[in-house]
Amino acid sequence: MNPWIAVGALGVVSVVIPLSMMLVSSLLRPSVPEDSKRTTYESGEVPTGGTRIRFNIQYYMVALLFVVFDIETVLIFPWTVIYRSALEDGVGLVTVLAPMLIFIGVLVVGLAWAWHNGAVQWSRDPQASETQ
Amino acid sequence: MSSHASLFALGPALYLAATGLLVLVLDSVGRTTRLPFALGSAVFGVAAVGAAAVAAFTGGTLLGLGVGAHAFAAMNAFLVAFLVYLVDPSGSNRLLVASVAVAGAVFSLGNAAYYLAYFGTTSDAQAALLFGDQLVVDQMSLLFMAIAASVTALVALASYDYLEGHAYQAEYYALVLLAATGMSLMAAANSLATVFVAMELASLPSFALVAFLKKNRGSVEAGLKYFLIGALSSSFFAYGISLVYATTGSLQLEAVASALSGGTEFVGMLGIGMLMLVGGFAYKTASVPFHFWAPEAYEGAPAPISAFISSASKAAGFVIAFRVFTVAFTPAGLFASLGIDWVLVFQILAVVTMTLGNFAAATQENVKRMLAYSSIGHAGYVLIGLASLGGVASQGDTVLGASMMHLFVYGFMNTGAFLFIALVEYWGVGRTFEDYAGLGRKAPVACAAMTVFLFSLAGLPVGAGFLSKYVLFFGAVSAGFWWLAAVGAINSALSLYYYTRVVKAMWVEEPNGELELQGRPTGLYAAVVAAAVVTVLLLPGFFPIAETAIEAANAVLPNAGDTTTAFFG
Amino acid sequence: MAVPAEYYLVLSAGLFCIGLAGILTRKNALMFLMSVELMLNAANINFVAFSLYWGNLTGQTFALFTMALAAAEVAIGIGIILVLYRNFGDVDVTDAVGMRW
Repeated sequence: MNPWIAVGALGVVSVVIPLSMMLVSSLLRPSVPEDSKRTTYESGEVPTGGTRIRFNIQYYMVALLFVVFDIETVLIFPWTVIYRSALEDGVGLVTVLAPMLIFIGVLVVGLAWAWHNGAVQWSRDPQASETQ
Repeated sequence: MSSHASLFALGPALYLAATGLLVLVLDSVGRTTRLPFALGSAVFGVAAVGAAAVAAFTGGTLLGLGVGAHAFAAMNAFLVAFLVYLVDPSGSNRLLVASVAVAGAVFSLGNAAYYLAYFGTTSDAQAALLFGDQLVVDQMSLLFMAIAASVTALVALASYDYLEGHAYQAEYYALVLLAATGMSLMAAANSLATVFVAMELASLPSFALVAFLKKNRGSVEAGLKYFLIGALSSSFFAYGISLVYATTGSLQLEAVASALSGGTEFVGMLGIGMLMLVGGFAYKTASVPFHFWAPEAYEGAPAPISAFISSASKAAGFVIAFRVFTVAFTPAGLFASLGIDWVLVFQILAVVTMTLGNFAAATQENVKRMLAYSSIGHAGYVLIGLASLGGVASQGDTVLGASMMHLFVYGFMNTGAFLFIALVEYWGVGRTFEDYAGLGRKAPVACAAMTVFLFSLAGLPVGAGFLSKYVLFFGAVSAGFWWLAAVGAINSALSLYYYTRVVKAMWVEEPNGELELQGRPTGLYAAVVAAAVVTVLLLPGFFPIAETAIEAANAVLPNAGDTTTAFFG
Repeated sequence: MAVPAEYYLVLSAGLFCIGLAGILTRKNALMFLMSVELMLNAANINFVAFSLYWGNLTGQTFALFTMALAAAEVAIGIGIILVLYRNFGDVDVTDAVGMRW
């Protein structure tokens, strides 16, 4: 049997399920037209201001630190894969461990610098951050 | 070569990286903790020398002895930090970070020179291969590491005055040094993976540096354009690498070459991939078709940064082009028979790049922009080195070596010319040719240096630019590409016109109004004069550079004969 | 391998072209960043697919490197776009034309 049939069937199912749900609910639900249903938040909150608000620059700093901590773990990943087998094959502990320690050390210098420059110092006053 | 000494072969790059981090740390420790920090640094330096001496005497190899040299230099770097503290204990960190940056670059240069001397004096010296052949330190790597380090030293020296009154100085130096690290690693990259990573390491700090004057619209605009084109070309480059990997199943350059040695069934894929790689190199070297960021970025960037990216970054771009095309996609004849004639591509690019660069430079009114276009033109000259590889195989090393010589000399004369612009910007003189009128009477030393740079760039025998251009065109002729040399010579003649305009403005023309030059920036002056002295001294001292460059070219070109004696005998 | 390698090539080439089209048609600098990201991911698809095809891990590892570099590139890019906004009041890349092209 062609393995593509399964993929095709999955595609068909993924289209049919939402369509059928919408169809069934439109057949079953009572129709009660009312204005408040058209509001953005049906909880009754009236939205104020535009949708394009400016965020505090601090979010950008956090995003940069995210790059340091999260994305760079991606670079540690290949190392962890070979770590144990390299040790078992008789490669010295220093040879295996040192490059990663240096790598993390460089990141720590970057983090220390960012910390020193106030990248993680969150603005205390919520009012101040909105008006900046 | 024993593996334990090998990491030290990367010394020049490690130096720049360590100095970059040290600058950040020094800036962060603050004034109150500077004394214990400086003392601790000195103690650490002494301890490092001791440890290295033990390693060197137990290791035994000559590169092992290099460990001692490293440690000695490291100690000196820390001593510089300590001395600056003694001289100026309560001052700002400005002088400290600048001098540490200069010291780190100088030590990197010294280290590269030391290894080059080792290669030059040891007949059986072998290239050091590191990390599973991902990096290689041979003469070509070391020559380009020397270029990156010398440009960095000049730029860091000049930046001290240029940055007066600016915020974020430690960050500036750290970015310069980290970008220089990337350029050194580009010189050593022996795999498409390391090429890409090193290229990004060089590019990313450069983007930030070009936009460093963040309140200056020109600088921001330049940074934006540099970044946009850079991001675009790096994605082209990554896609090109992925296609080469798809064809060969390997990223390491020798492995790519051996996978392709019997031809390949995926010629189309490989061809598109190689074209995309050419696009990436063209961006990094500011050649056609990815050249159009260069005039903007060089004009808008702070002038020392223009010097940095137009000299060091360009050289680094060329070294990876040299290595990738001579090691992975070799021999050129095989690829021509597959229908991927990359030599032809480089011939077209060389001719178009030098013609476009020189003609556009001739029409400029802004001196900095003129230099930017002339820098594109010089990329065209250097491309002759790759464009002539398809001809007489035994002459390949002369012409490729000549490209390296030209880049080496260019690293001084072009950096010097841009640093002169930095000096002029420091004084607040305008940017056009007319604004330079009468400058020669006010600042004769700097203008004399600028005259040397410009005439050397044009190829007149006042600086080493004459010799490197001469060898380049001679090599192209003897490799059978007289027409490339002819186009180059015509363009050089044209370039004399617009370089002379600056010289004429400086010395001959009368100033329009009253010309007041404020201040005597010592660092800028020192950098400009040092670059001029080296440019002139390389004229009599050209032979060692030429010999090293030709040997370096020989090492990457298996088919080339040793023509050193034939040409220089 | 169930899926032939050419299909991956077509997919990645399509993604690459979408990214390129985005760069050529959009004026918003942020859209530019997203398009570049698409192009880099197109390269990643090739790397991962041909890593399987050739049976070595080089491609997969390099794809991880590309991701990290793409993130770093975006970090710098957003910084430059921020100063662009402060100087020109917009993130439209066609605004910054003080110098001639």
